[in-house]
Amino acid sequence: MGDGSVTEVAVARIARSARATRTLADGAVTAGGAFFGMAGTAVITMTCLLGVGLLVLPELVRPLRGIAAAERRRVSRATGWRITAPYRRADDGPRLHRARVVLTDPATWRDLTWMLAHGPLGLAAVLLAVVLWASMSVALTIPLWWWAEPPGSVVALVRLTNWPEAVALPLALAAACAAALGWLVPLAARWQLRLGHMLLRPLGQEDLAERVRELTESRAGALEAHAAELRRIERDLHDGIQAHLVSVAVRLGLAERGFTAEPDTALGLLRDAKKGVEDVLAQLRVVVRSVYPPILADRGLAGAVSALASGQRVPVTLTASGDLPRLPAAVEAAAYYVTAEALANVSKHSAATHATVSIVKRGLTLRITVQDNGTGGASDSGGSGLAGIRRRVAALDGTTRIDSPAGTGTTIEVELPCEW
Amino acid sequence: MRVVIAEDNALLREGLVLLIRSSGHEVAAVAETGPEIVPTLLEQRPDVAVIDVRMPPGFRDEGLRAAIEARKRIPDLPVLVLSQYVEQTYAAELLAAGARGVGYLLKDRVSRITEFLDALQRVAEGGTALDPEVVSQLMNRHRQIDPLTAREREVLQLMAEGRDNATIAAMLVVTERAVHKHIGNIFRKLGLPATDSGHRRVLAVLAYLNS
Repeated sequence: MGDGSVTEVAVARIARSARATRTLADGAVTAGGAFFGMAGTAVITMTCLLGVGLLVLPELVRPLRGIAAAERRRVSRATGWRITAPYRRADDGPRLHRARVVLTDPATWRDLTWMLAHGPLGLAAVLLAVVLWASMSVALTIPLWWWAEPPGSVVALVRLTNWPEAVALPLALAAACAAALGWLVPLAARWQLRLGHMLLRPLGQEDLAERVRELTESRAGALEAHAAELRRIERDLHDGIQAHLVSVAVRLGLAERGFTAEPDTALGLLRDAKKGVEDVLAQLRVVVRSVYPPILADRGLAGAVSALASGQRVPVTLTASGDLPRLPAAVEAAAYYVTAEALANVSKHSAATHATVSIVKRGLTLRITVQDNGTGGASDSGGSGLAGIRRRVAALDGTTRIDSPAGTGTTIEVELPCEW
Repeated sequence: MRVVIAEDNALLREGLVLLIRSSGHEVAAVAETGPEIVPTLLEQRPDVAVIDVRMPPGFRDEGLRAAIEARKRIPDLPVLVLSQYVEQTYAAELLAAGARGVGYLLKDRVSRITEFLDALQRVAEGGTALDPEVVSQLMNRHRQIDPLTAREREVLQLMAEGRDNATIAAMLVVTERAVHKHIGNIFRKLGLPATDSGHRRVLAVLAYLNS
């Protein structure tokens, strides 16, 4: 091994230390954030103890999660490890339930642990690195100026009195600093990144178990929704269409029997039967539309919803991106169903004078928002169809958010994933 | 005769009432939900009850259960059950406590007015009226080890539907004597005494179905 390679090794070491220092400097930023986070946690804890905080807990923890997200990005950048956000969904259900989801989410507490650790340690580490670099640089210059100091001054931690000391001791100090920079600083940087990764990533098994639980639930929901739908269609056909047709047939049969003996009665029965057939046809259209709205096939979601909106008793303002791409049929059908149910609720229950529907596709998510200015106070019970909406949305692994304070109208917000 | 109707669908109920009145019978009462059926029958004691299988509140088989229950409380109460679809289990349950005065027809048959009224009359008189589809479903269960010939099965099938010898002969385009011979063979093969009374015919059907 020649001199060249020794120099190369030295350069590589210095570069490594420099990189590690850079990492620690970046870490100092999130460490500062962690201190803010700790202060924020204290404030949130107090608001929660007062009760108010619990109502808006998911919103309150959002900035804290932003700090953790910054750290996740930093760690991912520095290491190449992909760290996804580990949080459980807390955007669904009553407010207290959402607060409970946040509080029982291990990720919440792991975030906090990370803040407590990374705040002080991150600042200490960057301080150490800066001090070491500074000490080394200064020590190397001591032989150049120590003699200019007044005799007896403490330079490089000792009292330098002669040249040999003035060369050897600072060099020893610089070497010690260099060793620390070469070893301790990269180690600190590594540990800091590991700490972030360890505390901020999703817990492997727990995350998977949670996901499996969610998928199992949504699959069961899908099957149930499917079965309920089939039952409904069977009912509609048997109890509606078939019963109707039988009663028509009875009238035709009676008309046939009385055709010669009582032509007037027979004519009345025939008219009844004809009216009955027309009713059956109307009913059949309703059933078919409920299975898969034909207009959805013809015009796509935007067209179908626009037709739906224009047919309402309550005026509806529709904001749909006109260029909505064709989505998977299940998503379109669910989106249409949600809108139709929500609007049916508006006209049946809300006493609203105006409603808005918005359908927007952002990324891989389709968001449907139906809002009215009615009486609010909508709940899942009482056959309002909200339970049906939830079921249908959950079946596609989507989320439903219903906000309906009494007196100020109802907002239903549904998000459906468009690709799987 | 006096008829009680149990049917929840207003249109169909109206149709049945119209049909039964137009043929000179009396509609003594109508029941619109499952729980009303048995009390109404106990109170009215009609000559025959026409009962829809699926009734509120559950919209499952409330009507059928009420029919079975009513026949326990009023032995041999003639009951004609109407169903949206053929379900041999329902028919078998209904026949389990005896086939006298039992009918099980698809709702669609109501529109064949003469046949429906015949079936109603037969059931009221203690006969049976099983829907051809019910019978063929029940018969299909027995395809594997079958003591009867194809022709004998046809005859039995028509017997199960509640037809008399003359009708069976006409439908199969054979002589009544031939029908009589087939029936004798059926009784023999199923181990029943060869006297051809209406009751024996019912027993034959049941014996075959249960074999």
